[in-house]
Amino acid sequence: MRSLKSIVLALAALGAAVLAPAAEVNLFGWSEYIPQEVLDGFTRETGIKVNFETYASNEELLSKLVAAGGSYDLIQPSEYAAELLIRRGLLAPLDRAKLTNLKNIGAEFRRLPHDPADRFTVPYMTGTVGIVVNTEKVAGPIRGYRDVFQTKFKDRLVVLNDNREIVTWALYSAGLPVNDINPAALAKVRPEIARWVRLVKVFDSDSPKTALLNGDVDIGIVWSGEAALLWNENRKFKYVLPAEGAHRFIDILAIPAGAAHQAGAHALINYILRPEVSKIVSDKFPYTNPNLAARQLLSPAQLANPASYPAAPGRLETFRDIGKAAADIDRLMTDLKSAQ
Amino acid sequence: MPDPVRPMIEIRGVTKRFGAFTAVDDVSLVVRAGEFLTLLGPSGCGKTTLLRLLAGFETPDAGAILLDGEDVTHLPPYRRNVNQVFQSYALFPHLSVRDNVGFGLRMQGVPAAAAAARIRDALAMVSLAEQSGKLPHQLSGGQRQRVALARAVVCRPKVLLLDEPLSALDAKLRHGMQLELKHLQRKLGITFVFVTHDQAEALTMSDRIAVINRGKVEQVGPAAEIYHRPRTPFAADFIGQANLLSATIVGRNGTTARVRAAGGLELTVAAAGLPAGASTALLSVRPEKIHISKHRIEAENVFAARIEEEIFQGATDQLTLVTDQGTRLHALVANESAIQEAFHEGDRVHCGLHPDDLIIVQAE
Amino acid sequence: MSAIGIPSASAARDRRQPGWRAWALLAPMVLWLALFVIIPGLILIVYSFCERDEVGGVIFAFNADNYRRVFEPVYLRIFARSIGYAGLTTAICVVLGYPVACYIARAGEQLRNRLLLLVMVPFWTSFLIRTYAWMTILKQEGLLNGLLQAAGAGFGPLNLLYTPTAVVIGLVYAYLPFMILPVYGSAEKLDNSLIEAAHDLGAGPVRAFSAVIVPLTLPGIAAGTLLVFVPAIGMFAITDLMGGARVPMIGNVIQNQFLQARDWPFGAALGVVFMLMFALTYALLQRRHASPA
Ligand SMILES: Nc1ncnc2c1ncn2[C@@H]1O[C@H](COP(=O)(O)OP(=O)(O)O)[C@@H](O)[C@H]1O
Ligand SMILES: [Mg+2]
Repeated sequence: MRSLKSIVLALAALGAAVLAPAAEVNLFGWSEYIPQEVLDGFTRETGIKVNFETYASNEELLSKLVAAGGSYDLIQPSEYAAELLIRRGLLAPLDRAKLTNLKNIGAEFRRLPHDPADRFTVPYMTGTVGIVVNTEKVAGPIRGYRDVFQTKFKDRLVVLNDNREIVTWALYSAGLPVNDINPAALAKVRPEIARWVRLVKVFDSDSPKTALLNGDVDIGIVWSGEAALLWNENRKFKYVLPAEGAHRFIDILAIPAGAAHQAGAHALINYILRPEVSKIVSDKFPYTNPNLAARQLLSPAQLANPASYPAAPGRLETFRDIGKAAADIDRLMTDLKSAQ
Repeated sequence: MPDPVRPMIEIRGVTKRFGAFTAVDDVSLVVRAGEFLTLLGPSGCGKTTLLRLLAGFETPDAGAILLDGEDVTHLPPYRRNVNQVFQSYALFPHLSVRDNVGFGLRMQGVPAAAAAARIRDALAMVSLAEQSGKLPHQLSGGQRQRVALARAVVCRPKVLLLDEPLSALDAKLRHGMQLELKHLQRKLGITFVFVTHDQAEALTMSDRIAVINRGKVEQVGPAAEIYHRPRTPFAADFIGQANLLSATIVGRNGTTARVRAAGGLELTVAAAGLPAGASTALLSVRPEKIHISKHRIEAENVFAARIEEEIFQGATDQLTLVTDQGTRLHALVANESAIQEAFHEGDRVHCGLHPDDLIIVQAE
Repeated sequence: MSAIGIPSASAARDRRQPGWRAWALLAPMVLWLALFVIIPGLILIVYSFCERDEVGGVIFAFNADNYRRVFEPVYLRIFARSIGYAGLTTAICVVLGYPVACYIARAGEQLRNRLLLLVMVPFWTSFLIRTYAWMTILKQEGLLNGLLQAAGAGFGPLNLLYTPTAVVIGLVYAYLPFMILPVYGSAEKLDNSLIEAAHDLGAGPVRAFSAVIVPLTLPGIAAGTLLVFVPAIGMFAITDLMGGARVPMIGNVIQNQFLQARDWPFGAALGVVFMLMFALTYALLQRRHASPA
């Protein structure tokens, strides 16, 4: 198998060498996260062609990266995946001299635990996981996870179909550290999650706003970008950051170790860091833009969106890599969901 | 033996149309209890449709069908005490010979033990006792045909309908089966309605034949009657061989009449079949009824002719005659012995015809 | 009047050794099978005996731990539930699809072609789009509830989307054509005179159906069952989208091993067990065929 894989890779590399134009960048990014307009603008300006391939989860990125070796030049992992990649030596250090626009990134988003010296990563967009409330249907205050998972809201809830997220909320509710996942902690939160799972109507990570827009549920715990779109759609959808604490995710731009087109990758990162380019991303995907210069170009309405730019963020934490505990989480959630 | 009194099936003015096409046209027919009646006609004349009307697979557009005195016109097939042997046999491919034969009994709810005995008898009757465990596709054509027969008669129907059941068999097998079927019918005493387009087969097997043409019954009667006394040109032509002569009537004299056939040959015929006031007629003459000799003969109708063609057929000689008046006739003479006078092409011969053998099949 | 579903004697006689031409014609298919079925299958089997590493890679350490895990009660329960949904789906597909298939087979040529086209029309659009279409029909403020309201139904909006009912509706919708087409195939071959013979021998519509039509269309039902039941066990898109991903199906569990849990070896073991189930179903159906009543 190994040899077959290497033959296929060799053939692919040969094909690329023969057919591809001299200047190109192989970008491996999230589906629905980078506007085509941005890539086209980059190519028009620099003549560098961007080959864009997408994935739907960090785990998909990790496994393809390990399997396909050096065929990607620029990737977009989330913070905990980036941490793992750094630890395994799978990312190339960045040449900061080439990233003249790095200064636009706010201090709040630099020197974060996954890359304490900012040697390997540049934040692309960030966001939070919080609560959306349809205020026309739900009376009374919703401040945190405990208020959401009440018996009276049975079958009125949508949450992310993401096992680590759900476990994290339970850890927050129990006052436990969210990045230290061990069997004891999981055992402690198990009954609470079991109760939650029975209350939820829809688990959906791809488009949790759909169930809310359709009126099938009234409360959700979703990505802030989804919440921002809901708010744009109708002001009745209010975004609340849970009082117990919330996950702040940082989606990153990074260059895999051994990438063939490092110069082009640097050029693309720097291009994306330009305020007017970064603004295009914000227009399309209303997450929190870590690029402060770009924020100045946003309209007052964009900046007033409480899901994109929450007034009082409270306690936010990024995810750390939890290694093999991902499988323990999966087993726990599978067990609880199938016990219904 | 057929009971001449009791009608088993009465078909009263039945018509069946498919769209604008009339497949069965105002047919009235009585089938007597215990008789072997054959529906004979060319392909497409409506025989199958008539049979399907009797079975209940079709309902007539007009008319009524009575089975043993009971009106069954609108009864579905499974409520009629009638069974059919299909042209394609229609054996159930997933059932063994035994289960095929037992199917009807199972539907009737005959207790298992009684059914088993009847199945055994039925299979023995068609000499298939050994094959009872086989599936239909493991049998030969003739064997399948007999399974189909056993499957139908085991139900003891009042009437057995057979739609060209022998047509798929080769000639030799077919001939054997014709006799077998006839004996079986005699033995069981079940009324048979048998469909065929083969006139020889009809003559061999039937008590009576119904000649059908274009959805209509042309003539019904015993085989000999149909053969010797056809009542329509179609019946005369379709069964056996016939010389059809169109003629004008030139005079009447009590029980006989004089006619002149095309070409000028004048003949005396029996006047019984001739309506008063008729001026033309169509005559049928069977080839073997023409008496031929090299010497003068004494007969009502005598004329001279030349042998145009002679075909030796073993038991018979087929001759094509041209009369002095130019009328062309087919004749058949028996080759009774080698020393008998032989006929050759070009010979002049004397011919005689009995007036009763000149059948008027049409007159106006 | 060839026997239906029963190999004829001549078929066995026709079985000859394929020559090089035959191999040449078969080569693309053999290659396709080797590249996309056999080799991936072997990889799956090898992986299933391995261990995971933390990135989600595979460490070659031969042991059967993953299989031991497959047979833990959690996963057995999920297998059982998946089989239950698939079984219900198959049963509904038979009940709905059978009469439709028989009707199409008995229809006149023109009508028959039109109806067959209608059965296949859904395949012209993507499966996901059709599933989303069902969601807009079933949702709380959707088409169905709108119609009910417009018709003045006395009861409130039906709560259908994200329920097991919605999952079954989605599964039946997705797989119904795979039942109709094979059943149609065998119903069309069914000689009408066999049905007439059954009636002639005293079988009413019900008995003719159960004693002749059903046994003779059994090959079609078996093929349809294979095409519906096995894929329905592994289906996860419909349970996610229309069921709200509330209860995991075996397909979700397998998918999670690759996309969330970074546990390819365990996912591979589940996949291998799933393949074995397919083979078992197939073998059972074949056995039934080979020995007719
Ligand atoms: N179901 C039907 N629909 C239309 N026409 C039919 C149908 N059945 C028979 N016919 C027509 O009726 C005529 C008589 O058919 P059939 O009874 O089968 O003839 P036979 O058995 O004497 O050969 C044929 O011309 C045939 O085409
Ligand atoms: Mg016929």
